Amino acid sequence: MKTKIAALFALTLAVAGCHDTMNSVENAQKEGQRNMVSDSRVVSDTGLNRKVNVVGINTAMTPGGFLKVQVELLNRTSSFQHFNYHFEWFDQNGMQVAGSSTAVIPEELAGKEDKYISAVAPLQSAKDFRLKLILGQ
Amino acid sequence: MKNKIIIPLIAASAALLTGCATDAHYVATGGTQNIVNVGQINIQDYIQAANAATSDLLAAGTLDKVKTPPAVLYISRIVNNTGQQIDTDLLTKKISIALLNSGKAVTTSTDPAAKGYQQENEFMNDQKGQKTPDFTLSGKIIQLNARAGSTTQATYSFQLSLNDTRTGYQVWEGEKEITKIGTRGTVGF
Repeated sequence: MKTKIAALFALTLAVAGCHDTMNSVENAQKEGQRNMVSDSRVVSDTGLNRKVNVVGINTAMTPGGFLKVQVELLNRTSSFQHFNYHFEWFDQNGMQVAGSSTAVIPEELAGKEDKYISAVAPLQSAKDFRLKLILGQ
Repeated sequence: MKNKIIIPLIAASAALLTGCATDAHYVATGGTQNIVNVGQINIQDYIQAANAATSDLLAAGTLDKVKTPPAVLYISRIVNNTGQQIDTDLLTKKISIALLNSGKAVTTSTDPAAKGYQQENEFMNDQKGQKTPDFTLSGKIIQLNARAGSTTQATYSFQLSLNDTRTGYQVWEGEKEITKIGTRGTVGF
């Protein structure tokens, strides 16, 4: 009997500990139209890719003429995932623009959470970008 | 016999080499290998805060609303409300460099020699005075601590305001909060 109670208690704790998932709700009929861009991916950390996945990328121009990028990320797991990211920017000749190597920004996603991260190019001459995702602690 | 001499020699060389080696090495500033302190603003925090402020400011387009671009910006006072002694240039210099590179703003010089030459030029060429700044950038850095048992948490709030010198209004405001958590006496990466 004591063993059964202890096992049930342990199971309850384990189940409670694993529930880090997120529920969300949003308007079904969207007013805004996203300008989605096709992407090219290099995956060296398959573990991170399995957990935090890039769903889509869309871009827009700011009123001042700077490229703005928004990336939709999805945590495929049921637990919290910590990761770091940073953007790099390139001009029309493919050269990395000065001051484009931004800080590595820590971010987290709850289980099954979908989140957007965005960045604005530091120069108007920046036409292309690269997002780097690094596993966090 | 030979082995008796060679083996201690190898052992001594290995010990010497190990003794000379240190674990000091270079890391990328702002990268994931940088030390993280809960009770201290680290370099990556300044970089993050400056990047966030610059991106927000450029995206807002506020600097484009001046009659004669680029906008002239005066870097005003950043109040330090943390418990640490910090050099606010670690934040403001990054912002002014990014804005200058973007071509959207120039900052007023604090160099006395430049000021002297500018006045001399004005006098010699019988010109009007230097264009007054369109905006000033001011702000505050606040530290908020919390503790639960041996776990400590610190939130650093970097608050910045862009003030229109013509109207006196705050025409843009940005805030970046960075929260760090850890157990006492630990540092992270």
